[in-house]
Amino acid sequence: MAEPIIEVTGLVKHYPLTQGILFKKQVGAVKAVDGVDFTLNKGETLGIVGESGCGKSTVAKMLVNLEQPTAGSIKYKGEDITKLSGRALKSVRRNIQMVFQDPYTSLNPRMTVGDIIGEPYDIHPEVAPKGDRRRKVQDLLDVVGLNPEYINRYPHQFSGGQRQRIGIARGLALRPEVIVADEPVSALDVSVQAQVINLMDRLQNEFDLSYVFIAHDLSIVRHISDRVGVMYLGRIVEIGRDAEIYDHPTHPYTQALLSAAPVPDPEAREHRERIILAGDVPSPTNIPSGCRFRTRCWKAQERCATDVPVLAVPAGFRDTGGAAAHDSACFFAEE
Amino acid sequence: MLLEVRDLHVEFKTRDGVAKAVNGVSYGVDAGETLAVLGESGSGKSVTAQAIMGILPSPPGRVTAGEVLFQGRDLLKLKESERRKVRGAEVAMIFQDALSSLNPVLSVGDQLGEMFVVHRGMAKKDARAKAVELMDRVRIPAAKERVKQYPHQFSGGMRQRIMIAMALALEPTLIIADEPTTALDVTVQAQVMDLLAELQREYNMGLILITHDLGVVADVADRIAVMYAGRIVEQAPVHDIYKAPAHPYTRGLLDSIPRLDQKGQELYAIKGLPPNLMNIPSGCAFHPRCPMAQDICRAHVPPLDQLDNYRQSACHFWEECLDG
Repeated sequence: MAEPIIEVTGLVKHYPLTQGILFKKQVGAVKAVDGVDFTLNKGETLGIVGESGCGKSTVAKMLVNLEQPTAGSIKYKGEDITKLSGRALKSVRRNIQMVFQDPYTSLNPRMTVGDIIGEPYDIHPEVAPKGDRRRKVQDLLDVVGLNPEYINRYPHQFSGGQRQRIGIARGLALRPEVIVADEPVSALDVSVQAQVINLMDRLQNEFDLSYVFIAHDLSIVRHISDRVGVMYLGRIVEIGRDAEIYDHPTHPYTQALLSAAPVPDPEAREHRERIILAGDVPSPTNIPSGCRFRTRCWKAQERCATDVPVLAVPAGFRDTGGAAAHDSACFFAEE
Repeated sequence: MLLEVRDLHVEFKTRDGVAKAVNGVSYGVDAGETLAVLGESGSGKSVTAQAIMGILPSPPGRVTAGEVLFQGRDLLKLKESERRKVRGAEVAMIFQDALSSLNPVLSVGDQLGEMFVVHRGMAKKDARAKAVELMDRVRIPAAKERVKQYPHQFSGGMRQRIMIAMALALEPTLIIADEPTTALDVTVQAQVMDLLAELQREYNMGLILITHDLGVVADVADRIAVMYAGRIVEQAPVHDIYKAPAHPYTRGLLDSIPRLDQKGQELYAIKGLPPNLMNIPSGCAFHPRCPMAQDICRAHVPPLDQLDNYRQSACHFWEECLDG
C-alpha cells in the first residue's frame, strides 16, 4: 500500500507584486504556497483541508502543472515533473488529471458533452484512435452514471450534480493514475453531494486511482480520505491518518477548525466546547514571523514569533506512539 | 406571533413557462425565536423571504395568493410607500454575499448612516456617530478609523458584520438572514453566528434563518421548517427533527451527512434530482425520489398534518417515517 506515487518537497509558489509601469520593480509577493511537503501513496486518498486563501487550490494547480512552482519539486514515480518539458511532460500530465470545483464554469457551454469528454483525446490521440472515440465517451458516460445517449447534449441541459459527473468523466478519459479534485462537491446541493462522493469512491476502486481531495467540508473529507493534511497560510500545519487528525489533533489550528465546524446534532449544542479564534487570517503578502498561526493562537509565546516550527512528530509524543504521534508543526502541541 | 405567513404562492413568468417557486407556504415566528428554513437550491426558501420583505424581482416574480401578517398587518396589502417604512425599520434582512450587497463606492460609514438619515431624518454628522456605535456593537475593531473605509477594505467576516450592523441599525423586531455565513470560512462562520445569536437575545428579535446547512441549523435554531419544491414538508422543534424526522426527505438529508461509523461505506444518497419548478411532479413533489412512495403519493398532494401541538409533516406515511 505505501508505495509513493507523488512526492512533494519544499513546494513554493510566490506571485510577485510589482509597482511602476516602465521600470517594474518587485515590491513584495503573495506567498500563496510557502513550503509544502507531502506524499501521496498509490491507491490512497489524501485530503487537504483549510480555509480560503490557505493555498490549497494553488497546490492543486501545481500538481497538474497549470502553475509553475517558484521552488521545490513534485515527483511523480520518482521523476520531478516541474523540470520536464515537451513530450515527457505531456506523458506525465496524462497520468495526473483534475476535477474542478464549479461544474458551471469548468465546462464549455458551446461544446457538446461528447466533445468535452473527448477533448483530452485530441491532445493524447494515442489513447483512443479516432474511430473509437465516440464509443469510449459513451462508456465513460455510463461509468459515471449518465445516460450514454446524452452524448450530443450541451452542459446547460444538465443539473449541477450531472455536470460534476461530466467533469469527472473528462478527468477519467485518459485513464490517469492520480486525480486531483479541487472542492468537487462544494457547489452541489446536500442531497446530490452524497451521490458524487459515492461515485468517486466507486471509481477509485474500479480504476485503482489515487486521489488528492481538496475541500473545506471537514466531515466529507474525513469520509473519503485515508490521510488528511491541514493547511494554514501556505503551509501544512498538521498531517496524519484521518483518525489521528480528527480524534487526536495536536496543532491548535486543527483543534480550532474542528471545534468550529457545526455539528448536525442539536443535543451537542450545550455541552460542546468551542474554540472561537480571534480575528481573520493574515494577508499572504505579509506573513507573520515564526509560526504563521501565532497571531490567532491562544498558546502563542515569545518563541513562536522567532522560530519557525517544523512539520514533524512533536518531541513530547515521539516515544509514546499512539494516535497523537503524527506530524504537527507546533512547539506546544498537545492533545 | 410576530410574523405569520399564510398560504403564500409565488410564481415566476419565464420564456419557457411559469415556474411555481412557492406553492402554499405557511410559517410563523415569535419574538426572540429562531426559525430555520432549510432547503436546497430551488426549494423556494429565499423567494419566500423576498416576498415577506417585498423585494421580489417583479416582473417576472408575482405573489399570486397568500398573506404576510406582521404584527397583525398584512404587508402584501400595504402601499409601496408604507412598506418602505416597514423594511429596515421593523423587518430587516441580511444577505449571503456581503460584497455584492454593499455599495462599493460609498464608505461603510455612509451606508450605515444612510439608515438614520433616511428613516430617522438625522443630520449627517449624528448619523456618522451612530455608525461608529453600530460598528462597535458588532465588534469591528478600530471602528472610529474604519468607518471611513470602503467595503473592499474589509475581510469577508468583517463585511458580514457590517451587514449585520446595518440590519440592526433601526432595531427591527424581525431579522431575516438568508444564508448569512455560507460564503464564510468555518472559523469565521462560528464568530458571525455567535454574534448574531447574542444580538438576537439582547434585542429579543425574531430571526428567520434561511440555510441549507444542517450543522448551522442544529447549532442555533429553535424550530425548523423544511422546504421542498416550494412547500413546507416538515415543521418541528429542532430536537425532534434530528431525533426522529417525520418526512422521508428530511430523513434523507440527515442520513446523507457522513458519519463516523460509516467510514469506508457508501454514503446514503437521495436518488434522483431536485424537481424542475416548471414541471413539479404530481401528488407529493418528492415521490419520484422517495423510498416510501406508493400510488397515493403520485395521485394526492399530502396535506401538512398536525402530529402534535408542535410538529407538522406533509407525508401520507409520516407515522411509518417516524418509526424509521
